[in-house]
Amino acid sequence: MKAKYSSPQQFFRQRRMRLTVVLVILLLIYFGSVLLVNFNTFSSLAQIPAGLVWLFKTFIPNQHTTTYLGPIFYQLWRTLIVSISSTICAALLSLIFAVLGAKTTSPNRVLQLTVRFGASLLRNIPVVAWAMILLFSFKQSDFTGFLALFFMTLGYLTRAFTETIEDLDTEKLHALQAVGANYFQCVFCGVLPEAASTMTSWVLYMIENNIRDATLVGILTGTGIGFLFNQYFKSIRYDAAGLIVLLIAALVIVLELTSTQIRRAIA
Amino acid sequence: MLKVNQLDKTYGQDKHSLKSVSFTAQPGEVTAIIGPSGAGKTTILRSVNQLIRDDGGQILLDDQDIRQANKAELRKIRHHIGMIFQNYNLISPLTALENVLHGRLGAKSTLAGMFGLYSTAEKTEALALLTEVGLKDYAYQRCDQLSGGQQQRVGIARALMQHPKMILCDEPIASLDPKSTKIVMDILRQLAREKQLIILINLHQIDIAMDYADHIVGINDGAIVFEGPTEQVNEAVLQKIYRQSADAKVKVAANES
Amino acid sequence: MIENSSSEPKIVKPKVPNTERISLMTKPRLILRSVLAVLGLVTIYSLVTIDMAGLKLKDAFHSLGLNLNAMFLHPNVGQDSWSVLLRGLSTSIALTLLTTLLGAVIAFFIAVFSARNLSPTWVANTLKAVMAFIRSIPTIIWVLIYSAVMGLGANAAVVGLTFHSIAYLVKAYSESIEETPQATIEALKASGVRFWPIIFQAILPSIVPALLSWTFIRFEINFANAVAVGAAAGADDIGYYLFMASGFYFDFHEVGLIVYLLLGFAIILELISMRLRGHYLKSN
Repeated sequence: MKAKYSSPQQFFRQRRMRLTVVLVILLLIYFGSVLLVNFNTFSSLAQIPAGLVWLFKTFIPNQHTTTYLGPIFYQLWRTLIVSISSTICAALLSLIFAVLGAKTTSPNRVLQLTVRFGASLLRNIPVVAWAMILLFSFKQSDFTGFLALFFMTLGYLTRAFTETIEDLDTEKLHALQAVGANYFQCVFCGVLPEAASTMTSWVLYMIENNIRDATLVGILTGTGIGFLFNQYFKSIRYDAAGLIVLLIAALVIVLELTSTQIRRAIA
Repeated sequence: MLKVNQLDKTYGQDKHSLKSVSFTAQPGEVTAIIGPSGAGKTTILRSVNQLIRDDGGQILLDDQDIRQANKAELRKIRHHIGMIFQNYNLISPLTALENVLHGRLGAKSTLAGMFGLYSTAEKTEALALLTEVGLKDYAYQRCDQLSGGQQQRVGIARALMQHPKMILCDEPIASLDPKSTKIVMDILRQLAREKQLIILINLHQIDIAMDYADHIVGINDGAIVFEGPTEQVNEAVLQKIYRQSADAKVKVAANES
Repeated sequence: MIENSSSEPKIVKPKVPNTERISLMTKPRLILRSVLAVLGLVTIYSLVTIDMAGLKLKDAFHSLGLNLNAMFLHPNVGQDSWSVLLRGLSTSIALTLLTTLLGAVIAFFIAVFSARNLSPTWVANTLKAVMAFIRSIPTIIWVLIYSAVMGLGANAAVVGLTFHSIAYLVKAYSESIEETPQATIEALKASGVRFWPIIFQAILPSIVPALLSWTFIRFEINFANAVAVGAAAGADDIGYYLFMASGFYFDFHEVGLIVYLLLGFAIILELISMRLRGHYLKSN
């Protein structure tokens, strides 16, 4: 750093000033937001423990709850496989888009920009909007949820895969070109093996993420585990709702642990 | 025989350009291109297999002009020119064996190459080549688990898998320690002698060039300033090759000491 | 090394007996392929058995096309007015800012205690497990749970969103803290520096870029969540209008306008994050 401070005192004074300014701005943002959304910081935060206590009292499954197990497990299973299938379908397309769109492997610049723009569009439309848009045409079916997750995942994975490919060393592709390999051989023998483990990590992460989003999509579109939760919740069958929450948590945690294991095994 | 005639190349801002470069390299000999950094060594080497497109001239490999080849012909020609790199450029998650097999890609159909379908004969040959460069025990190791010297030897095996007439070496020892340097250079010289290959090699280290090369091409600022047998290289020649280059003066001094 | 290779350049005699079977399959690759195969099979099964509710795909995609056309080519404010929609958008943004700030501050203190290099292993592990549990439950469920305690509205939305943000950020922050070299911490401890001064003088400055980058990622996630909360739990923000326009009025022109508003903000966020990242890459 250049010596633009006349004395250490001045350096520290300036730094303290900057810190104060940042803090003041953050506080202003905070209180501005509090006013806008009508949020009562202290009484709300004070209610967190009460909320947790309430949660542990009422959300505990009891003997009666076992009667709900059938539909819950069925919907959980559907949610899991829809999350997986939407991710895998999106991943396959993303892979093609990413190879076409990454700077290093793109056949032409127009395609590159199109892919980028398209991915950004898909990603930045919130999953809520996807769900609501698709609900009208595809009605209350699992397929609506599948499509909503699919489009969002497509946006995310295309960007992630594109960046993964661009991070690879282009010299390695030159080496394959020098061997006399053609475009497809370069992609399949060079790009894909190099990127495979990173891409798989992304796919596993998206499956996990889609299970959580599937719940939201379900609540909005009236399908799957989200719908079931909403139904029990609104009809004050909290024991069953609690069971769903626990099972979703268990599913996500099991998936997280499995993908950690898989990642370690293929790295 | 490789014959380069009046090769020209200009980059946007007149940097690293080649000015009518001509030289020859004979089978069975190690030909070293030496010169200060930025003189155009890499550009020359990469023009030979057209990884860099030049602006004019002739590159004759056994009287066939590489520059006139269309895309498909170029791939065929490239298939018979091996290349090794400073950073080895192996596909790191793949095994050494697979990287060697990549040498066959230019001869395979698109589909077979894409899905890595190799014949038993090819696999056997790849393993034999790894044995030749002393890496039989490492055939099933991922390449990023090998040392630099070992990776470079895998690179050489990959080049040999192409059944090359010529091997281009782009600063092959710049990232290696002295012991690995010796192993790699010994292999390259032996290949030239025993398989009658053209070995064209970019070198930073003058001492290595003097030890191993049969033929020296000296380049300064994109132009050839010396070409001849290694015996003819003397202090005056080196001065000419490395003139006006502080970087090189240090190197010459280091070489003398 | 190559002493026994033949002098003929184009033929390399195999020196390895052919009896040896050469397989290109390594263990990691076998695992990778099996994982992909299982996922592929599940996908096929799922697609075959998916509940289409008697949909005719052709008609459905046709109607989707019509809706997209109405949305993106003819957006207008529909039932609501510009001022209502912009207020909704600013509520969403405020919700995002609020929950991210609150989450970041609380998460930082919890992260200090759940970083393995700063606190006892059992404390760190317990905290991490609790956070993993909170994280595994979708944000929207937290919001709904708190709305049952506090009543529907902004308070429940903020608390629910903050809850999930904290769990997410604790993981990210504590991992950043754990990357600080142990030697730095020990050197300061050895010279008698107390716990919190070590945190604020030694650890914080070196991980600020990582913290900022994670916080910003969470900001983007929170924005999407804020919209979702409006739609699913009835907070008075842009998500609510989106839900009403598409679910009750079937006014796709308004949906289009709202999506454009959301897109606009998301793209501004992306530009800012690109700037931020560029800035930190340069200064580091």
